[in-house]
Amino acid sequence: MSAESLILFFIVGAFLVGIALLFSSLVPPTSTNSQKAEAYECGIPTEGITWLQFNVGYYLFAIIFLVFDVETVFIFPWAIMMKSMGMTAFIEIIIFFFVLGVGLLYAWKKGALKWE
Amino acid sequence: MLIMRHELLLIAITVILLLVEIFLPGDKKSRVITLAILLMTAVLILGFVPGPSGTLFGGMYQTTALISMLKNILNIGALIVMIQSADWLRKPENKEKISEYYILLLSTLIGMQYMLSSGDFLMFYLGLELATIPLAALAAFERFKEKSAEAGVKFIFSSALSSGILLYGLSMIYGTTGTLYFAEVGPAFTGTPLQVLGFIFFFAGMAFKISLVPFHLWTADVYEGAPVNISSYLSVVSKGAAAFILTILLFTVFSKIALMWSNVLYIIIILTITMGNLFAIRQQNLKRFLAFSSIAQAGFILLGIIGQSQYGMTTVIYFVLVYIFSNLGAFGVVSIISNRTGCETINDYDGLYRTNPRLAMMMMLSLFSLAGIPPVAGFFGKFFLFAAAANHGLYILVLIAIINTIISLYYYLLVIKAMFLNRSDRPIPKFKSDFYTSLGLILCLAGIFAVGIASTIFEAINGLSFGLY
Repeated sequence: MSAESLILFFIVGAFLVGIALLFSSLVPPTSTNSQKAEAYECGIPTEGITWLQFNVGYYLFAIIFLVFDVETVFIFPWAIMMKSMGMTAFIEIIIFFFVLGVGLLYAWKKGALKWE
Repeated sequence: MLIMRHELLLIAITVILLLVEIFLPGDKKSRVITLAILLMTAVLILGFVPGPSGTLFGGMYQTTALISMLKNILNIGALIVMIQSADWLRKPENKEKISEYYILLLSTLIGMQYMLSSGDFLMFYLGLELATIPLAALAAFERFKEKSAEAGVKFIFSSALSSGILLYGLSMIYGTTGTLYFAEVGPAFTGTPLQVLGFIFFFAGMAFKISLVPFHLWTADVYEGAPVNISSYLSVVSKGAAAFILTILLFTVFSKIALMWSNVLYIIIILTITMGNLFAIRQQNLKRFLAFSSIAQAGFILLGIIGQSQYGMTTVIYFVLVYIFSNLGAFGVVSIISNRTGCETINDYDGLYRTNPRLAMMMMLSLFSLAGIPPVAGFFGKFFLFAAAANHGLYILVLIAIINTIISLYYYLLVIKAMFLNRSDRPIPKFKSDFYTSLGLILCLAGIFAVGIASTIFEAINGLSFGLY
């Protein structure tokens, strides 16, 4: 591959995307109505201003939830490999739980689990 | 397990500090400082015990005697930063966050060590992010100071952008070679246009981290806003780690396009050294001043890389070691004076020698070392770097670098002139420094002299490093 082919690649790429956008704006029938302007399948229409401050607690809970979400992802492959790896795998997952537990304990102690 | 000893030790002390933070009652929090420093000292000493080399996780993690030594150098820098922070952490507004400070600092160190030990671009990227994200939190550590929060935001935005560029480059490298393992990318990296494009993106991402011109714009603002000790950590340990891994990657993975990257480096070195120096002359705030001086120093570090030989790599490592001591010495003095009096501009330092002669002497020696004046280590560091570039036949580049050294001498001497010759109506009052501040500065002072005089250090590094040919 040479520099010319790289430039050609960029030109063809840009051209293809442009064509696709052009056709999708020219070809399909257009109709607008109030139902179509609504947010797609996202519940009821909003009331008032949506730019308001959320309680930071939501984020804290989400982050702590994420920790355990990832933990489950780790446990599944571990459970499959447990039989063949034996004691080593068991000790390793205990260490992993311990570190996670310390993290949770820290969040708990600092009041991240309290809803105010 | 012994192969990964450096990281495991650091993780262990991080968990210990977290447990201490959980179970220690609130009024004894300041004892964490001593505990953290003692633990880190133990890790540093254990790190020097020779251990096995090898690879783990199917080649994703690797360590050699050279990488262990680089980790030890980073440990030294981190330990000195931890000691120097003690004075600042004792202030009443920081008392609640002492353990968090050390935990975040150690997390970044763990990230850097994983980055150095990576045998795979994925691992490299994970380490890089682990090193970067806690640093953003540390830069914004003084939450209620607007400048500090601004520094944190600027740091996280610029590093997110640079990480994005770097990842884009990695995706191109992966797309053209079909693998992310360093050992397999190297032979497959023959320099097709797409690979070169990938390399340029990768290099731009790394240049952000090392703050090379033209990717340096975040540096001065972040250094100015962040707490002084974090600025010193950013300028020394973080920059050193990025420079080390860049050297290793350029010499191994990208060795087949050495002709291309040495041309890129050639231009970047001239730009970085010149711009860093010219902007440093105009700075009044000492933190901004040291930020631009550290940009110029980063340009000097690249001089060793462009040498492309074993000797060149040795000089890079040696210079970073010297730079750790000299820059931490200068930042240490700035941090003490900033903590005690809040003064940060050069004019505030007028007549410092009359009131605090020891601090002024320390600052003078550090600046001499940064400028490269003979009796101190900085001279040898710079001399070897120039020699490495000259051995490769780059005489014009060395000439430009030497001219820049003379320019840098001017602005370093401006600070020294302010301290020793200028008189001031309101000089910085005399104050006594406590144990940790003195210890931090004495360590830097010892380093500035010992590293320069003991040639065994240079020989030891030279025995482990490798070159391109």
